[in-house]
Amino acid sequence: MSPPGYRSHFIPRTREGRTATVAFLVLFALCMPPFTHTVLNRIDPTVLGVPFFWAALFVIYTLLIGVLVRALRSGV
Amino acid sequence: METWVVATGLVFLYILFTILLGVVANRRMTVDMEDFLLYGRRAGFVVLYLTVVATFHSAFAFLGSSGFFYTHGIGFWMAGTWTVLVGAITYVLGTRIWALGKAFGYMTPADMLADFYESEAVRVVVAIVSVVFTILYIQVQAQGLGYIINVASGDRISYEVGTLVLLAVAAFYLMAGGLRAVYWTDVLQGIWMYAAVWIGALVLSYELFGGPLELWRAVIAERPDLLTLPGPEGFFTPGMWLGMTITLSFGIVFQPHMMIRYYTAVDGRTLKLLGATTPIYLVTLYIPTALVGLGGALVMPDLAVPDRIFPELLFAYAPAWLTGLILAGATAAAMSTLDSILHANMTVLTRDVYQRYVAPDRTQAHYVAVGRAFVILLLGVGYALSVRTFDFLVVLVTLSGSGALQLMPAILGVCFPGRRTLTRAGVLAGIGAGLAALYVTLVLLPHPYGVHGSIWSLLVNAAVALNVSALTRPPSAETIARVHGELERFVYGEEAQPSEIRT
Repeated sequence: MSPPGYRSHFIPRTREGRTATVAFLVLFALCMPPFTHTVLNRIDPTVLGVPFFWAALFVIYTLLIGVLVRALRSGV
Repeated sequence: METWVVATGLVFLYILFTILLGVVANRRMTVDMEDFLLYGRRAGFVVLYLTVVATFHSAFAFLGSSGFFYTHGIGFWMAGTWTVLVGAITYVLGTRIWALGKAFGYMTPADMLADFYESEAVRVVVAIVSVVFTILYIQVQAQGLGYIINVASGDRISYEVGTLVLLAVAAFYLMAGGLRAVYWTDVLQGIWMYAAVWIGALVLSYELFGGPLELWRAVIAERPDLLTLPGPEGFFTPGMWLGMTITLSFGIVFQPHMMIRYYTAVDGRTLKLLGATTPIYLVTLYIPTALVGLGGALVMPDLAVPDRIFPELLFAYAPAWLTGLILAGATAAAMSTLDSILHANMTVLTRDVYQRYVAPDRTQAHYVAVGRAFVILLLGVGYALSVRTFDFLVVLVTLSGSGALQLMPAILGVCFPGRRTLTRAGVLAGIGAGLAALYVTLVLLPHPYGVHGSIWSLLVNAAVALNVSALTRPPSAETIARVHGELERFVYGEEAQPSEIRT
């Protein structure tokens, strides 16, 4: 008897799950190379006196946390 | 009163408080392995939150991260990537580990992997990897404690004595109250370290620059080289960025002191809430350390040991009471991680080695006593290792994380059902090949082509594990159905439908 193989748990099965996964992966890609070392890699324009690089990553991190909180609220 | 007297006094006051918590925890403890090792699997959100963040953020969050900002600049803000990723891992993977632990009584990472892969060899290898690589982490924390007490006392208490005293205190309350004492002290430590680092950074930025925004303006004007990648010394290459993100997220989560925390949650919902919210604490702790490191690069540009920038600034520019308060917070950061690692190693040695192979049928009280003896043994080993000194704590953390990262394919194989599964031979071959690749890419030829050694080792591990698994016998159908069936029910809330099972 060959062992049972379940449907992959790597692929979300619900719409909410797919939305959360895609949103997280896209946002996470924005704080990874090459994006960080090209588009984000600058001081100007400063945002409220803070270098662009710092401010942009802060926004991305906040959005990533938002995706996790949203997933929690929607029961994913 | 002199600054060193106040600083050392506050650090020792803090230590006294943790000892008292250990004694109180001891009175609440029952002589039972689940209670001693796993808090009776009853940890609620607040306790679990603070113990996870306090454990994750160690001496290097206080000392090493400021030192990194000081030397390599803004690139260390990448810490947000791995801390957010830790939240996601907890949300997705931690809940699965919790569900399996509750269903099958797992206490250690090796319990889970040995059960699924039906192999005692897997148990032994995982236990060895767990202990060997986290002992390095004990060394990191012990060194941090030595630095702190040495700096706090103005060189009056030697690094060696400071390390020994603080290691002994952590070992005492762990032996007294088990994981309950660790969790309670972590609550205190988690709050203290967060408040301390923020207050210290804000006070210093106002004292030296007139405020955080003025500090940023000064850095932009005087050291713009600190504000772009890859940094003044070219450290933050794309390959290093990627490697540190993977290593310091998955690599730390797979260390036993973090994985065991998942087993202790009262329910799965608590872990999901934990995953969604811990990044708030973890990410925001790096904001004040950036202010310290970047501001320190302007004020004290020629510091011989960059990891000392925070305490050096405090001694030079902050009031004595604040310096003591913050150094006690740094002590909390190191001790909260140290006690957790001591506990995890004690759990692995007691459960995976002693109970399994030396004395299988003894009383619960016997195993608790043996666990306490292991703490003393680990204390000795940790101290012996920590007498050697290193400049950059974070580099050692990375090495520790890289070792535990080799468990990643095996753990994903258990926790994410799919059409194919890894086999015991595949897992063992993968871990062996991964560790060999790690030695080559971290020691012999560090970070080939600018890519962190841990990424190379993980790729080698995964490739070997998959290929060997394709040629060898998988776990029995009964075991796969039992473990993956449990996950199917836990994640999707129902029995797997026949159409969803492929044979």
